[in-house]
Amino acid sequence: MSNAVIEIRNLSKIYRDFWGRKKVQAVKSLSMDVMKGEVFGLLGPNGSGKTTTMKMLLGLLFPTSGEMTILGKPAADVTKNERIGYLPEESYLYRFLNADETLDFYGRLFNMSAADRARRADELIEMVGLGKARRRQLKEYSKGMTRRIGLAQALINDPDLVLLDEPTSGLDPIGTREMKDLIIQLKAQGKTVVMCSHQLADVQDVCDRIAVLFQGELKVLGRVDELLELRNEMQMRTPALSEAAMADVRKVLEKHNVTNVEFSRPRADLEQLFLRTVRESGERPGRRFSTEEVAAGGRG
Amino acid sequence: MDFDVRPYNFTSATTSWLTLLGILAVVCLALPLVVLAGRGGVSGLVEFRRGLWSYLEDVFSLSFRRILALTSLTLKEAVRRKALLVFVLFAVLLMFAGWFMTDSNERAELQVSVHVTFLLTAISWLLLPALIFLSCWALPEDIRIRSLHTVVTKPARRMEIVIGRMAGLGVVVAILLGVMGLIGQFWLSRRIPENARSALQCRVPLFGELYFISSEGQPQETGLSVGDIWAYRSHIPGNSRARGVYVFRNVDESALTRNEKGEEELLLECRFEAFRTVKGSESSIVKGISAQYTLSVNPREEAFGMLAQSEATRPVADALREGQYNTAAAELKKLTERIRTAPGELRPADYFGLHFGMFVSGTVLDNRKDPGLGDLGKLFIDAALTGEGVTAALQRQEGGERVEIPYEAFAAKLDVVAAGLADRAAVLMETLARMEVPLPSFNVSEYHDLDETSTNLTRVPRRLRFVADYETLGRFLAAEIGKKNESGGVLADGVLKASLTEELVRDLKISQLNSERLVAVLGEQLTGGALAVDAGRLKVADGRSWYAFFDDLIRREQLVSEDTDGWMIEKDLIKDLAAQGYLRVEVACINDQMYLGMARPDLFVRKADQPFWVGYWKAMLSILLMLLLIIVLGVTVSCVVKGPVALLFTLTFFLVGQFFHDFMIRKLAGVEKGAGTVESAILIAQHRNPEVGMDVSETAMNVVRAADQGLDGVLRVFSMIVPDFAVFSRASMYVENRFDVPFRDVLLPSVVVFLGFLIPCILIAGALLKFRELEAK
Repeated sequence: MSNAVIEIRNLSKIYRDFWGRKKVQAVKSLSMDVMKGEVFGLLGPNGSGKTTTMKMLLGLLFPTSGEMTILGKPAADVTKNERIGYLPEESYLYRFLNADETLDFYGRLFNMSAADRARRADELIEMVGLGKARRRQLKEYSKGMTRRIGLAQALINDPDLVLLDEPTSGLDPIGTREMKDLIIQLKAQGKTVVMCSHQLADVQDVCDRIAVLFQGELKVLGRVDELLELRNEMQMRTPALSEAAMADVRKVLEKHNVTNVEFSRPRADLEQLFLRTVRESGERPGRRFSTEEVAAGGRG
Repeated sequence: MDFDVRPYNFTSATTSWLTLLGILAVVCLALPLVVLAGRGGVSGLVEFRRGLWSYLEDVFSLSFRRILALTSLTLKEAVRRKALLVFVLFAVLLMFAGWFMTDSNERAELQVSVHVTFLLTAISWLLLPALIFLSCWALPEDIRIRSLHTVVTKPARRMEIVIGRMAGLGVVVAILLGVMGLIGQFWLSRRIPENARSALQCRVPLFGELYFISSEGQPQETGLSVGDIWAYRSHIPGNSRARGVYVFRNVDESALTRNEKGEEELLLECRFEAFRTVKGSESSIVKGISAQYTLSVNPREEAFGMLAQSEATRPVADALREGQYNTAAAELKKLTERIRTAPGELRPADYFGLHFGMFVSGTVLDNRKDPGLGDLGKLFIDAALTGEGVTAALQRQEGGERVEIPYEAFAAKLDVVAAGLADRAAVLMETLARMEVPLPSFNVSEYHDLDETSTNLTRVPRRLRFVADYETLGRFLAAEIGKKNESGGVLADGVLKASLTEELVRDLKISQLNSERLVAVLGEQLTGGALAVDAGRLKVADGRSWYAFFDDLIRREQLVSEDTDGWMIEKDLIKDLAAQGYLRVEVACINDQMYLGMARPDLFVRKADQPFWVGYWKAMLSILLMLLLIIVLGVTVSCVVKGPVALLFTLTFFLVGQFFHDFMIRKLAGVEKGAGTVESAILIAQHRNPEVGMDVSETAMNVVRAADQGLDGVLRVFSMIVPDFAVFSRASMYVENRFDVPFRDVLLPSVVVFLGFLIPCILIAGALLKFRELEAK
């Protein structure tokens, strides 16, 4: 029995004008599977067809040809949505509702009981950190808060499959980290996550497999680890070495005909730096960190 | 009342609706089938089947809870987007409305009418734009800002979204209307001057059907035209046999009201038009004319009136209507002879009138339960069917066909009818009893509705005392004396009781003098042997009926009234004059050279009034249904086009449905005068009128006429698609005219039109939303 949650076969989408003339082919004969329990990333530049593919999966667009099933049901079958959570690219929620009302409304669309809706809303609001703003109308929310409540509504039904369109868009680094942690958490819970994003670092951090689309065609499909592995190179990580130690190492490697050797200090990425700075600023308010302190790990 | 609402035919409306729905379903299925099959062949058919199945699944799996969620979302949206601000506008309007209202010197009715009209119109037209906007903009806006994406990616079916939207906006409008109605009620009760508040009435009318009897005694659909531009009313000439005959159905005790003394009475309210040909001298201007009601039970008119339509059969009809059945049989024989000997003397119209009149007579007689009359009715119908053959053959002959006309067969059947009439003359005389109760005359003023002092209300007491004519007296005495005799109340020891005179005064409510006269005549007849005693009861010696016995005495003037008032008798309005629930009221114009104008709604039985607010809230209900229909149309259209286009569509539907639907129907029925669309355009270009016609060749004329017929077809389809919004205004018209709003004739059509559009609109809107791409570029 197939372990695929999403099966796409020869999927094509052509946009036509009012007179039925072809405007653009957004997706060309796309075939791929998304397996249960994995985090799958759809990548590609603007206009590559990733959002179109996702919208076809959700039934917002109809394929011109090809087949696709989600959780064993055709994409057009509305009952598949009972096990799906969807976070749109921007949070197009009803701005006149507050967080509680928003989650209550979407919960009602799943025919959840009032008690379940209330319990689930509490959990999710806690999870996305909107406890203090739950009574404010969404029109008063910042972009990050809107993304959070958008994520909460996507999870209201405790879905098996979560579709995230640009999940980290508009989030600050902390929010981005939390989002990525959440995606990893969802995976840990056995849920399948499909995300499309321009933030390649985010994809790299959380995705098990990715597909790269270009001009509607599938160009690359595989596991992130395998795709990013540089098979012709090796990396060795040690504590800081003296000049003499580095020369000795170089000599040893030359004996094995390895001449193109580089020594450098590893660099933390900006996200780590930011997170650390924010965390420690919280612990010691009013303190400014010197470059040396930052380079030494932020500790004075 | 200046408008006439015809009784609503629910069955016919439902049948038409089902037929249209069927046609619509076929079109809606055929179009995508053809498109898909044409585009994809077999796979297109598979796609169609899959789509249809999925759609049906949607229809039968609707979730009430999800609809409720979407309804409450719409409600919250309207409230939070300040749709309720319309109240402010309404309040401002009411605050300053008083500046433009009538002053308290006007008639009370006019003041009420002006205030109520203003209020109901203000409420309708304030809510209308707000609702058109809300209903047309809501879904397209949701699609534009993609809020709908978060809903359709949940298990919500798109039809549920449509229903939720409609229901939500429906709740909004119900709340708005309810609050505005309450404010309006308060405003009306405070704003209308105290002296006019008594006119805040909700009269409950019972309308009847109207037909006319011409000066020649001929029943007709319409009366005379006096040349009024507006042919709403027909007229009857004064001092003639002409009558307007109103027949009211379902007149029973519930139609009665109680006066201040607690006596039961029937209220007849009229609004006839007085049309005078002579104004009189300036010094003695007599305004208005006299009219008179006659309540009647006239089964002979019902049975044989239609026979009088043909000139040839009028002598037969007149004899039958007068109850002279042997004379009628003889007249019919004469007619038969004419048919046999000189059939061509009678015009085709006479044959038509004869067979049609006989068919009506036969049906009426056949429907009566009286023994013997059913058989006679069948003879009439049999003859009518043969007569129909004559008419049909004459028509074919006129068309140039050579046919044999069955004159002889028809004459033979008529002979059978004549024999039947003669045989059953006694039964007919007994059973087809006519009674006429003339009421005192009343004045119809020339400018009726402007004359404050004129009264148009006639109070008819339930216990009617009136001077009986011969026939009525004969039947009255036959019934009362017969009943008393049966109970042994007439004789004592083989002779008339000594106390009989007093008992008759008491029981029959006749005068002492007439009672004495009656007892004396009975005594004479007993002595003379015309009456006999049998087992302690009186009986007519020669075996005739009591009616025949008394009728004979009256006609021989042996029972002439001893009283100067004549034979005053008493009858019960409901039991005696409206025995079957039918009440006939004949209206006569008394003055010579004057005319009385009337239309169906001009006379009605006024039942006990309802509180004014009952009618007021019924009008509100009708307005609510209209606004709900606009929501339904707006949401439906907005499922497929953007907000501005949906708004234009909906507004067009409303305006055409409100102001031109009736015109379309009349145009298609050929009632509306004028040429077709293309022909009219050509006539305008050529500066010619429809009477003269176009100045084009015959071929061009044929082309133009064909084009007009095609356009008429388009108009026909359009008239079916566009709702008749005018039905929703009728309730308001009733209330403005201080009438109760009848459910069956006014509210029911509103409900039916609303539901008739709601159901297909939900199905269509659900499909439109389901099969459209929300993200199409």
